[in-house]
Amino acid sequence: MTDALAPPLLETRGLCRRFGGHTAVRSLNLALREGEVLGLIGPNGAGKTTIFNLLSGRLRPDGGKVLLRGRDLTGLPPHRTCRLGIARTFQVPRPFLSLTVYESVFVGARFGRRRPGAAPARETGELLRATGLERRRNDPVRSLNLAERKRLDLARAVATRPLVLLVDEVAAGLNPPEVKEAVELLRQVHAGGIGLIYVEHVMEAVMDLSDRVQVVEHGETIACDTPEAVARDPAVIRAYLGGGSAPGEAPA
Amino acid sequence: MLPGATAGRRRWLAALAALAVLAALAPLALTNAYAFRLVQLLFLNILLASAWNLVGGFAGQISFGNSSLFGVGAYATSMLWLAGFHPLWTMPAAALLAGVFGLVWGWPCLRLRGPYFAIATIGVSEATRIIVNNIEAAGGASGLTLPLEEEGGPVFLYALGAVLAVAAVVVSDSVRRSRLGLGLLALREDAAAAAASGVDVARLQTTAFVIAAALTGLGGSYYAQFTLYVVPEKVFGFDLSISMVLMVLVGGIGTVSGPLLGAAVFLFLEQFVLASLADLHLAALGAILIAIILLDPRGLAPHFQALTARVRAVFARSGAS
Repeated sequence: MTDALAPPLLETRGLCRRFGGHTAVRSLNLALREGEVLGLIGPNGAGKTTIFNLLSGRLRPDGGKVLLRGRDLTGLPPHRTCRLGIARTFQVPRPFLSLTVYESVFVGARFGRRRPGAAPARETGELLRATGLERRRNDPVRSLNLAERKRLDLARAVATRPLVLLVDEVAAGLNPPEVKEAVELLRQVHAGGIGLIYVEHVMEAVMDLSDRVQVVEHGETIACDTPEAVARDPAVIRAYLGGGSAPGEAPA
Repeated sequence: MLPGATAGRRRWLAALAALAVLAALAPLALTNAYAFRLVQLLFLNILLASAWNLVGGFAGQISFGNSSLFGVGAYATSMLWLAGFHPLWTMPAAALLAGVFGLVWGWPCLRLRGPYFAIATIGVSEATRIIVNNIEAAGGASGLTLPLEEEGGPVFLYALGAVLAVAAVVVSDSVRRSRLGLGLLALREDAAAAAASGVDVARLQTTAFVIAAALTGLGGSYYAQFTLYVVPEKVFGFDLSISMVLMVLVGGIGTVSGPLLGAAVFLFLEQFVLASLADLHLAALGAILIAIILLDPRGLAPHFQALTARVRAVFARSGAS
């Protein structure tokens, strides 16, 4: 198990974000420990994607801090947080449509690292093999289907050599075998030494992969524990799933 | 393709070959004044279209204000020339001033994207035109007339234009294949995803814009040297900005060969079709724009490539039999 006393890899302290009169994220504390997969779940509109946008610098917080191994990243633009070690995928993949598969991943390898020196071309090739996109290497991205685009998003993010990867709903829109493949791929990414924060609606996937699960509702944490404990938490069952069913049985 | 020949070396060989061909064609172009005029405009169009395409094509940021950069180059050369400098030596100054001017307004405006950027460029260039119109020291609305004795004469102007046009295409091709080009294409497709992959969107766009501005300023300088007359309505004019956009759209936006092709086709249209329409000139330009968007937004370049591929296939077959 992870050492609870080690400093967190990625941490937020009192993170806040408002949109007009609506508070999307309220004083949120979150900690991803070294070597950990943290699941982030919550009903639609709970603020999960906003949290990702705050962590990656796409949105500026109205209050609070984002710390990567103790270094304050609050308010840095996304290309800076990326080079410092935070990569992300998007809920709906955001491919560079007119580029080839190879070029797209190469963008991450070429721009996303603090020290771009070490063989970006070779690593791009390795990532294409690892994600099963090797034979589509020179195809335009617009010819890829959804599952391939999700793998491409992932490869592009990993190409930046992140310390932390924020994964936004890798399973959405995929069929069960594709979900299994995607989760397997995330497991490999994690085994390669990258910390994961994983937002997911498909409970099986997130329960399977996460060491701990943090549950948010209305921008606040309502539970944070092991997947088993969270699944039994009455507050979670009431707030998140409604009615009396357990998370493992009824994907939202 | 030669084994081991890098893209860079092939590019320089192609550029040298193009210059050699242009040198061989020089006597033809210099036979009469009208042909010479057309060739000068062609060189200028290639330069302006290639420069515009760096930002409009690769970064997808459509500028309707590039005449402001052209005008700065034209006025820089004119005023320095009148102050006694040799026109050739005014060219670095024209490029520098246009580049700096591009940095000054490109840096803030490029924070906007799409139509918002386009509208801002119109505002900047129109404001620039009106300001220059009212600077008496620069000749005001009546502009500046340059000494009639052309320095170096037609041969010099032909060579200068050829070098500028080839250089612009080389720059365009180099950018397309560089790290900068990759980043520009990525941010064109999705600025947020590019930023999340480490692309410094503002910096890359500004870099491309400053390169384009310097090239456009050189175009203005060249124009001043062969027309010997600059006036704000023309060199800072909205018509000129529109023509840069149209050339690239006609030829093929976001490609290296598109601006080259578009510059030639646009010159032909302008000289032989639009000139006879007089007042309907702008309406005709609008009609061309609509036609491209409806028929094929990619422009002529892909069709031209398909055509050359077919011609090559025919030759290969007849060669084999």
